[in-house]
Amino acid sequence: MLTKIQNLNYLLIFLVILISFIGAAGLYSAAGGSYSPWASRHLIRLTFFIFLAVILALINIKYIYQFAYVFFILSLLLLLSVELIGVFGKGATRWINLFGFSIQPSELIKITIILALARFYHDLKFDEIKQIKNLFFPILILFLPFALVVIQPDLGTALSIAMLGILILFASGIRIWKFVLGLFVLILSIPLSLNYLQPYQKDRIFSFLNPEADALGRGYQLIQSKIALGSGGLTGKGFLEGSQSYLQYLPEKQTDFIFTLIGEEFGFIGTMFIILLFLLLISVCFYISIKSNHIFGRILSIGVGSNLFIYVIMNISMVSGLMPVVGIPLPLVSYGGSAMLAIIMSLGLVLNVELNGNLKKLHNA
Amino acid sequence: MFYSDDKKQYSVLNRRTFLLYLLKVSFFGIVGWRLYDIQIKNSEKYKTLSKNNQIDVEIIYPLRGKIYDINNKILASNIKVFDVYIIPENTKNINKSLNELNQIIKINFSDRRKIIELSKKVKKFEKIKVLENINWSELEKIEANKLNIEGIFISQDYMRIYQHNNTVSHLIGYTNKPNREEVELPFIVNMPNLEIGKAGIEKSFNPNLIGKSGQREIEVNSYGRVIREISRQDSQKGNDIHLTIDLRIQKYALNLLKEHKAGSTVLMDINNGNILCMASTPSYNPNKIIQKPNKEYWDSILENELSPLTYRCTQGLYAPGSTFKMVVAIAGIVHGVIDTKTKHFCSGKIGLGDRLYHCWKNNGHGLMNVSDSIKESCDVFFYEISQNIGIDKIAKVAEDFGLGKIYDVPLPNQKKGIIPSRDWKKKKYDESWYPGETLISAIGQGFVLTNPLQLAVMTSIIASNGKNVKPNIIKQNTNIVFEKLEKYQNAINIIKSSMFKVVNDNKGTAYNSRSESAPFAGKTGTSQVRRITVAERESEDFRKKEVEWKKRDHALFVGYMPVENPRYAVSVVIEHGGSGASTAAPIAKEIFQFTKKLET
Repeated sequence: MLTKIQNLNYLLIFLVILISFIGAAGLYSAAGGSYSPWASRHLIRLTFFIFLAVILALINIKYIYQFAYVFFILSLLLLLSVELIGVFGKGATRWINLFGFSIQPSELIKITIILALARFYHDLKFDEIKQIKNLFFPILILFLPFALVVIQPDLGTALSIAMLGILILFASGIRIWKFVLGLFVLILSIPLSLNYLQPYQKDRIFSFLNPEADALGRGYQLIQSKIALGSGGLTGKGFLEGSQSYLQYLPEKQTDFIFTLIGEEFGFIGTMFIILLFLLLISVCFYISIKSNHIFGRILSIGVGSNLFIYVIMNISMVSGLMPVVGIPLPLVSYGGSAMLAIIMSLGLVLNVELNGNLKKLHNA
Repeated sequence: MFYSDDKKQYSVLNRRTFLLYLLKVSFFGIVGWRLYDIQIKNSEKYKTLSKNNQIDVEIIYPLRGKIYDINNKILASNIKVFDVYIIPENTKNINKSLNELNQIIKINFSDRRKIIELSKKVKKFEKIKVLENINWSELEKIEANKLNIEGIFISQDYMRIYQHNNTVSHLIGYTNKPNREEVELPFIVNMPNLEIGKAGIEKSFNPNLIGKSGQREIEVNSYGRVIREISRQDSQKGNDIHLTIDLRIQKYALNLLKEHKAGSTVLMDINNGNILCMASTPSYNPNKIIQKPNKEYWDSILENELSPLTYRCTQGLYAPGSTFKMVVAIAGIVHGVIDTKTKHFCSGKIGLGDRLYHCWKNNGHGLMNVSDSIKESCDVFFYEISQNIGIDKIAKVAEDFGLGKIYDVPLPNQKKGIIPSRDWKKKKYDESWYPGETLISAIGQGFVLTNPLQLAVMTSIIASNGKNVKPNIIKQNTNIVFEKLEKYQNAINIIKSSMFKVVNDNKGTAYNSRSESAPFAGKTGTSQVRRITVAERESEDFRKKEVEWKKRDHALFVGYMPVENPRYAVSVVIEHGGSGASTAAPIAKEIFQFTKKLET
């Protein structure tokens, strides 16, 4: 036990804490220079979740492997219950109240998808991967949560689940031509899925394609976001010096648009610093993956790293106008318990993989 | 155990992992380049945008739709007024600003608290109304001091106005600030200050009347001066509503009603169900409700025990008394219990079980057939036949004639009333039905309760020879055709000739109200509000005595005009008016004559 604690990857833990602290600084500024209501809770959550993650890291990986499908099914049921509450209760919701905490099952499911896929490919012989029939199960694992999230409707999360699936399937050695085919199907389905989008989602996409046409509504958010980022320049306006008035117009300044605030106050240097920290964090995940000598650990670490990557790229692309505003937080920086819990726990799993990376076998015990 | 081809698998995995990593690094590169583009290359552009100017969004409130009567006379519209607003982000201290304003015009304490509460909820740039409809001298004073008080500004605005004060107040209702739950309503999102309909048509038609908000995006410099308007999306005016009410009749009828403490009348066009007049007294003045300060007026309304807010036409429930006899007689004829030759002797009372049931005429009507018993409103005849018909059949016919129903018209809080039956009593009281209750019900007393609109609909169905007339309050462009209930045709013919005699035969109860200029038919009703004791009944002249207002009987009349091919149906209910013949029938006559005069 003690050796395990000594062998924890402290670089990873340090990166998590550093990024979260930057987030707390941003939240402190977003509240107009106050710990309440966001920064203090952000830090309390960080402490609590890191503690949980370390405990998770110390568990024998065999148990995590064994319960991978159970976790997936449990989180799928949670997601389903949110849907049902949405249908029978007071309208659509993404939240569920569990033991006094309101959590967003759509954030948790991404982690259990990684677990389930990692176990599936671990159990599969290399030759079997090629067989078409062995695509059925992973696609089911991806499709069920994807469909549930789409009807919520949470476009951003649905998109990130789809991307996560693609990256993991790619990493696990699926044939390239299958991806090309998948991509083809995806492109064909775009006009169809447009019909099912909520009006506000269509607005977002069309305003992205032509922000000036709707400078008032949706496009307005984007223009404000770019003004905030751009006016930060190289070095930024300084901590707490960001023009608050802009951020009043950003309805989600403490969540999805926090990166804009940091960009305004710390400039290009600040944004690059954050990006590099995330790149480093993802690199650590990949390093641990390569080092691991069981498939379960490999896929798990790559999955977690990819999940992190999707969050970061989608969020920054969104606020900088590279893609439509779909509502994806910046991990560890944005305010919000569910995403933070999911991210830190998943990194706890990666820590676990490193501690258990030298296990010669991980059997279907 | 490693699988045999593990080595190969790991080399594939390594390659894929490496490719994936390259992909991710390149994505980070793209994002980094994008940020470089915004933050370094185009930084100057954004810096100027940011430093000198800022963009403000103003919600443009829509103008509420107008309400018209059937002849396009305005019943509700909007007038220009001046209001004082405060914008939270433009003042360092909202309390201080309100204090300073308070020295010019008094702002009452609870309003102030509400403003401060609201300022914490809405976006900082959202304007909040502080005072409304200020007068000229106040306007001048504020204009003069405007620069000293941070965050306030004066804006021209619109206020709802009801041109005819209390004439149509119950029907139209009034507007006011939304309460806590109403703020969440989908049609007023973004517009927490918008006045919305709180009663009547104003409430039922909120989504139509409100219209759509617009917005204006303006660029302002750091001093708050507007530099230019970037874009503007005008608000869309709410839809106008055209009612079927004829203001002239409504006014005339209300004046007739005002001679009494409380009462109501409904006039319908039988051909299309249009409600031409729907007046209720006492009423209130909606203008006094929406103009602040209104506390005194509100209190006076709430303290008035006649409850002026109640729309008696749809919310007042009364025992229909003898106006219910048509339904009973029709039920009797349709079910073959009576025909025109059936006669019963009225001695002034009959006994059933150990109770006596009295006719209103103490010494009796003598031998009566159905026509006479309606004309002279003999109770005993109906006691007799009701026992053979049975309450359930009477109830079924009553429902066919529109009683005991809530109509699909946009009038909030309609009261359903009661048409009793065995099932109903079982459900309501878990008791079985007593034969005596059938007798009482047959003369529209006991459990039976109806509202005046229902009585007008009942009369319309009779007058139209059994067409299933549905009331209508919104002017329609299409012709409405009601289906006909053929099975009642024969019975209705008999009843209509009896109703003609009620008004035009010298023994009829409403003979004194007959009209030469507008001949009509109808039926009187007098409904007891308390039981008459034996001692009172024995003292011969108990009906003539001056009794306390609250204990007097309700006076009712229903009727239709003209006698041949009727077009209008009316119901009149005067609370504690004495008798239908003396109080309600004369009002019906006046309304018919006035309506007839308008036609020519």
